[in-house]
Amino acid sequence: MSTYETLILERRGAVGWLINNRPEALNAMNSAMRDELAVAWRELDDDPTVRVIVHTGNGRAFQTGADVSELASDGIGMERYRQSVEQFDFHFTAWHQRVSKPVIAAVNGICAGGGLHFIADADIVIAASDAQFVEPHVSVGQVVAIEAIGLLRKMPAEAVMRMALVGRHERMSAQRAYELGMISEIVDPPEALRAAAQELADKIARNSPAAMAATKRALSNALEMGLTDACKAGSQELVSMWGHPDQLEGPAAFAEKREPNWLPL
Amino acid sequence: MTTYETLVVETRGHVGWLIFNRPTKANAMDATMLNELEAAWQQLDADPDVRVIVNTGNGPAFQTGLDVAQLSRQPEALREQSRRTRRAELRLTAWHNRVWKPVIAAVNGTCAGGGLHFVADADIVICSSSASFLDPHVSVGQVTALEGIALVRKSPMEPILRMALTGRHERLSAQRAYQLGICSEVVQPERLRAAAQELADKIARNSPAAMAATKRAMWGAFEQGLSAACLRGGQELLSLWGHPDQVEGPAAFADKREAKWMDGAGIP
Repeated sequence: MSTYETLILERRGAVGWLINNRPEALNAMNSAMRDELAVAWRELDDDPTVRVIVHTGNGRAFQTGADVSELASDGIGMERYRQSVEQFDFHFTAWHQRVSKPVIAAVNGICAGGGLHFIADADIVIAASDAQFVEPHVSVGQVVAIEAIGLLRKMPAEAVMRMALVGRHERMSAQRAYELGMISEIVDPPEALRAAAQELADKIARNSPAAMAATKRALSNALEMGLTDACKAGSQELVSMWGHPDQLEGPAAFAEKREPNWLPL
Repeated sequence: MTTYETLVVETRGHVGWLIFNRPTKANAMDATMLNELEAAWQQLDADPDVRVIVNTGNGPAFQTGLDVAQLSRQPEALREQSRRTRRAELRLTAWHNRVWKPVIAAVNGTCAGGGLHFVADADIVICSSSASFLDPHVSVGQVTALEGIALVRKSPMEPILRMALTGRHERLSAQRAYQLGICSEVVQPERLRAAAQELADKIARNSPAAMAATKRAMWGAFEQGLSAACLRGGQELLSLWGHPDQVEGPAAFADKREAKWMDGAGIP
């Protein structure tokens, strides 16, 4: 296992944990964290013992986007991002890194600005009851684009536009995020968040890894093309599993009332 | 009217009912039902007296997807279904069969796996409070694709992904489906069919031609980017200019009487 300066990676059963670990900086993403995330997602996705990934943060924040103090102090500032933005060549979320396994974001506190990338790009999102979402970019003269574009395709649009345009002057509560279908579970008390995430991940880990990977591809594709074209591509994902050993193992295990023995991904 | 073995098809006023009728099998689709669904949608779509279609199920379940055990004993039917899946040419739902009359799914109980096709492809969904939704595909080594693809376009995506990835280990309640906008009404179980008929009767008071064009414009929006969909939607608006319903509608309103619409048969 690689060692990380800004992240913690752990395995608990079949669940890989990716934990943002700059609590003193509200888990803001400095250059080191940005580079380490690219490696960490791939490490967990390539690990055959990991079937589900949970992403959370240490401290009172989940993620608060780019590290503004680093940007302001190192003489390079936003220019460091020019090439990656011009070419949309990002590598810090599971989606950017083409992670094929289910990803649960467990939002442990404030999620601000670029932190929303990790919400937009997770498969499932749960949050502590005191979590809050805020998009302060326009309040500091920055544009909101990529993270909000993802969210607009995945939830009611008005709420996303409001968050993008009100900036730092308003925060969305976990409760409102639940009502809107941005998240599917609120965990109260907040300290129970990691236990709830592990429990959910353990359920998911009982399903066929290969079938979940194909399902994830099929549903992600629904955001890339028209409905009919997405259904055509989705049919190919269905067909791709025909003849896979998991398709015999699943019904057999069900009939014998035992846990299935799936092939690793 | 044609008789069916696995479905009940009937009309009540201007409302056509398509009722899954394999209650002892949780309304799972066997080879016969797969064939009969295509025939039933076409029959209701072609019937000029039918202006709105309600789809529901007999027994405790709404629809639970393919009856895999039964299909495995009918290799020819299974092969045909496989062929249609491979070519993305399924004929299960109103959308697959290009039905342009309004379709209401009245979900009377469990809706599982392939049963979600009928929720994803309906225009309007109402639920019994006893209804629940789950997608057990990945728990038996199967992929979820088409049902989920349409649902993620029509409702918040996260709950659909959660349902697809938790498989048989979790269910979504009727109440949560209502909160998320997957359905628009939750009623007591014994009230479901009356509520569906009542809603369908309201819809049947609107212009069939205008509703068909509206439906094409809305579903078309899922096929393209926003500006392209608006351009195409403009064509749907124009398509009704000069239609007799556009004279009849305001006249009936002014006369305080029900409008006499052109019937819906033969709407392209």
